Amino acid sequence: MNGNAILLFPLLFPVIAGIVIGFQKQEKQRNLLVFATLVIELGAVLYLSMGEYTFTLWQMTDRLALAYHTDGLAKLFACMICIIWLLAGIYAFEYMKHEQKPARFFMFYTMSLGALMSLCFSANMMTLYLSYEYMTLLTLPLVIHTGTPEAVRAGMKYLGYSVFGAGLGLMGFFFLNSYCDTTTFMPGGTLNLELLAGNENVLLAVYFLMMIGFGCKAGMFPLHAWLPTAHPVAPSPASAVLSGIITKGGVIAIIRVTYYLVGPDFIRGTWVQNTLLTLAIITVFMGSMLAYKEKLLKRRLAYSTVSQVSYVLFGLFLLHPLGFLGALMQVVFHAVAKNILFLGAGAIIYKTGKTFVYELKGLGKEMPIVMWTFAIASLSLIGIPPTAGFVSKWYLAQGGLQPDFGTLGLVGVAVLMVSALLTAGYLLPIVSAAFFPGKDFDYGSLKKKEPNYLMTVPLILLALAAVAFGAFPQCLTDWITNISGVIF
Amino acid sequence: MNHSIILPFLVFFPMLGGIIGYIIGRKNKNARDYWAMLVTLLTFGASLLLIGKEEVFQEAGICGLGLLFAGGGLQVILAVLTGAIWLITTIYSKEYFQQDRNRNRYYLFMLLTEGATMGIFLSADFFTTFIFFEIMSFTSFVMVMHDETKEAIRAAHTYLAVAVLGGLVTLMGLFMLYQKTGTLQMDLLQQFMAQQTDKSAFYGIGVLVFFGFAAKAGLFPLHIWLPNAYTLAPAPASALLSCLLTKTGVFGIMMITAKIFFHDAPWGNFMLILGMITMLMGAILALFSINLKRTLACSSMSQIGFMMVGIAMQGVLGEHNALAASGTLLHFINHSMLKLVLFLSAGVVFMNLHELDLNKIKGFGRDKLLLKVVFLMALLGIGGIPLWNGYVSKTLLHESIVEYIHILEEAGQSVFYMKTVEYLFLFAGGLTLAYMTKIFVAVFVEKNSHPLPVQKQGAYLNPVNKVILALCALALPVCGMLPHLTQDRISAVGVTFLGAHAPDHAVEYFAWVNLKGAVISLIVGAAVYFLFVRTVLMRENEDGETVYLDRWPAWLNLEEKVYRPLLLGVLPFIGGFFARLAGTLTDGFISLLRMAIFNSDNARVIPPEDKYFSAYTDGETDKTVYREGFARSLLMIGIGLAIAMLYILI
Repeated sequence: MNGNAILLFPLLFPVIAGIVIGFQKQEKQRNLLVFATLVIELGAVLYLSMGEYTFTLWQMTDRLALAYHTDGLAKLFACMICIIWLLAGIYAFEYMKHEQKPARFFMFYTMSLGALMSLCFSANMMTLYLSYEYMTLLTLPLVIHTGTPEAVRAGMKYLGYSVFGAGLGLMGFFFLNSYCDTTTFMPGGTLNLELLAGNENVLLAVYFLMMIGFGCKAGMFPLHAWLPTAHPVAPSPASAVLSGIITKGGVIAIIRVTYYLVGPDFIRGTWVQNTLLTLAIITVFMGSMLAYKEKLLKRRLAYSTVSQVSYVLFGLFLLHPLGFLGALMQVVFHAVAKNILFLGAGAIIYKTGKTFVYELKGLGKEMPIVMWTFAIASLSLIGIPPTAGFVSKWYLAQGGLQPDFGTLGLVGVAVLMVSALLTAGYLLPIVSAAFFPGKDFDYGSLKKKEPNYLMTVPLILLALAAVAFGAFPQCLTDWITNISGVIF
Repeated sequence: MNHSIILPFLVFFPMLGGIIGYIIGRKNKNARDYWAMLVTLLTFGASLLLIGKEEVFQEAGICGLGLLFAGGGLQVILAVLTGAIWLITTIYSKEYFQQDRNRNRYYLFMLLTEGATMGIFLSADFFTTFIFFEIMSFTSFVMVMHDETKEAIRAAHTYLAVAVLGGLVTLMGLFMLYQKTGTLQMDLLQQFMAQQTDKSAFYGIGVLVFFGFAAKAGLFPLHIWLPNAYTLAPAPASALLSCLLTKTGVFGIMMITAKIFFHDAPWGNFMLILGMITMLMGAILALFSINLKRTLACSSMSQIGFMMVGIAMQGVLGEHNALAASGTLLHFINHSMLKLVLFLSAGVVFMNLHELDLNKIKGFGRDKLLLKVVFLMALLGIGGIPLWNGYVSKTLLHESIVEYIHILEEAGQSVFYMKTVEYLFLFAGGLTLAYMTKIFVAVFVEKNSHPLPVQKQGAYLNPVNKVILALCALALPVCGMLPHLTQDRISAVGVTFLGAHAPDHAVEYFAWVNLKGAVISLIVGAAVYFLFVRTVLMRENEDGETVYLDRWPAWLNLEEKVYRPLLLGVLPFIGGFFARLAGTLTDGFISLLRMAIFNSDNARVIPPEDKYFSAYTDGETDKTVYREGFARSLLMIGIGLAIAMLYILI
């Protein structure tokens, strides 16, 4: 045990608090407790973000250890996750009033935050793998919360795919352990070319399988199928964080393995890179296309997640600083936008019970704040300036058009554009119908259905973030450039 | 770097004003209307302050690459034009929208659009242009949508779809341009391109960037949104669309031509072909239309074709492009002034009758002298009759074609192609006269035995708007009669920006050489009107009244017959098919595995041989699986792990 034990606080505190919350029957006290936990957690993470901390919990052997470290990447993800977790949590206070067993929901909601922090801060592959499994297990109850047969089946699918994916990752870990100097994450990778000599192709294949495995969480083709099944059945605040945040768990793992263990130089220009780029491009198109065809609002949003998270993967697999910059911006911006969309869809369900996209006519008059934020998030997801999505798309495209990628990069950027068009096709009609119900629309039947401040305030804050990040992306760009500066 | 205050004020003040107006409008509708007038008045005033100055405003980091505005020459003219037209339409709007719903929304988006339009016209960087271009597309969408009739909703959706598609293609082009050149600033691009000997690599990129602007400008074959959107939007919005919003597309094309493909003949030829098609197509569509605003809309399309010809001639003529440059610029401005008058007049008709069909509104203006004179002024202007402003700019455009023919003759090359262009140009000018005469005769001359009931209370137009319309109409002949005082000065300020020198000597507008073109157009116009319109497109019914016939074949509709089926039917089907195939690949594989490994018996999945190899069952036991403590088991695992961790720690 060495280092600063304060690093353990954000990991353990939510877990302990979650257990207490689970036994809290009084709604008011429980909500207060959840709120306090999330705020303290956010404070703790912000405090930790100021400095750089390292902590080794358990040195099993000289190569295996449970160790934590706060580097730039970890801080970026941790801050983002805590903020969104808090906002979605506040929203959930209201939303969970119409669901069963809110105590159980909040228990796992808070506990999974601990697992996510552990994932962000993990300093080596073993810690990462354990946190990753932890995250899967703790978020499972969120998926199957409603307890309907459909939800349970979706939960099992989620579990099956995730465990399989993580299994591929674990397998890769064994190989990496023997080819790397250390499995502690180092910017730029720790691959030892002497140890590797002669086995390059093995490692490439192993790396490829690891990416497929971790890509499962991020909804990358071919292991994406769980996502559109599992996300829509969860209660809306859970769908929001599952889509916006948990998918990014896969992204963290991919970044750590690619940029901090294997190293971008080893993969650059190989068949693996090309294949992974192709898979990401296929996913981008497939997700958007299926979302365009889907009529159930929440499932449409889930398909949209499949597509949007693969923007991130496309950027990461470019192995270029600009692609990396675009990818991490997309991580943040997608989290913001997708949370708004899912929380908005939840507010609609909560207030009107409507779940299909063609039922939403005139809703903009009934719940203007919800639909306005929904519209802003839609614009951000399409990538219309001055909203945030435009900026990330700009950098992704600049990365993709680098001369070294040739046609594949060009095709990728073109597919991003086609996907943006499809995104417009599946989101804008909703907004348009909501605000422009038509001349014959019976305005008399409208009622004020705006949800209360617990729901609207998080939505407004997120929408403001979507615009503010778009107009002033400088601070985020600097932060990410610092991270990538060490890697490349 | 000189940090101007006026430039960001022009862009952001209307936007801010729109939001404030929205808040005011929730309390007091009248106050909101006057507030909107005040905002546009202040904006107009601020734009006047720019005259004669060279200002720059740069803010790094906004949206990634940062904003760059510059005010000088051309931009100032456009900013003043925008300010003036917006002020006029805002004053006019108060009366027009009196009985409408959702006015608060209209005013908000109208002012947001003003800021965005200013942003486009003042931009000195394609990145800035693009940002405001996209904002404008979305905010103006709400203006087109305003009436919310079924047709308006459909037209607005088409408008938005074309705008989004165009925007994305342009963005793709900008990505590639930036990648290749490392800058999107117009001046730096010009320097960069001047050093390139081989521009062939840039044509593809240029076409991509051009695409979105062409879509906005309504160039063939992307014009499909234009006739419907103009017709179905409220009149002040149609006026803004025609006078300014569509012109942002023209502005973008002008920038591409002047900054990226400066003096580039292949590019010029490409523009020329598109311009010619748009010019003729718009004119023919306008001729066939039997809807007042639709005729004006198609006329806008045709006039934009004229501007495109001017832009094309700038490229083709190379060094000698002064005439083409000032012709383009002046037609840009003159057309805005003309269409302002025309659309506002059409708005008067609609305000009173709630109808635009020529057969129904026939004879509305017979007894309204002011409106008749106003409309006539605009007719003569847009028809290119000498002494009105349209004549000046059309003459310049015509002259530039003639000049090129001279150059070709001197070089001993074939002039057949350019002669054809010249005659088509004059022919389109004739068509302009024909379709304008058609609507003028219908609305102001012919009698109607079954006039529609007037829906409006009070006078057909209130005094304020009468004065405004009269003033606007008066400006048209004044500009036309004193071309050296007004038009030449404006073009002298603007053309340097387009990379042209002022012409060596002042153009003799009223010399016979130049009048000849107008005369030819006049003869063509009269011939088309009397020999075609009056015979084919009109007929007399039993009562001896003329009826306007819709002779345009229904199958000749690019939007309904090609684009919609293709983009909404065929392509999504193909894409959806492959996406579904990919989407179900893994699940299908898993089902296959399940079939191979498990036996299905009564919907329960039973492992065949190995009793230790268990699976969660489907069917009736689902709930129990979960209830009997899945959550609890997880919790126990969690607690166990936590205890183990604590033990290790202590």
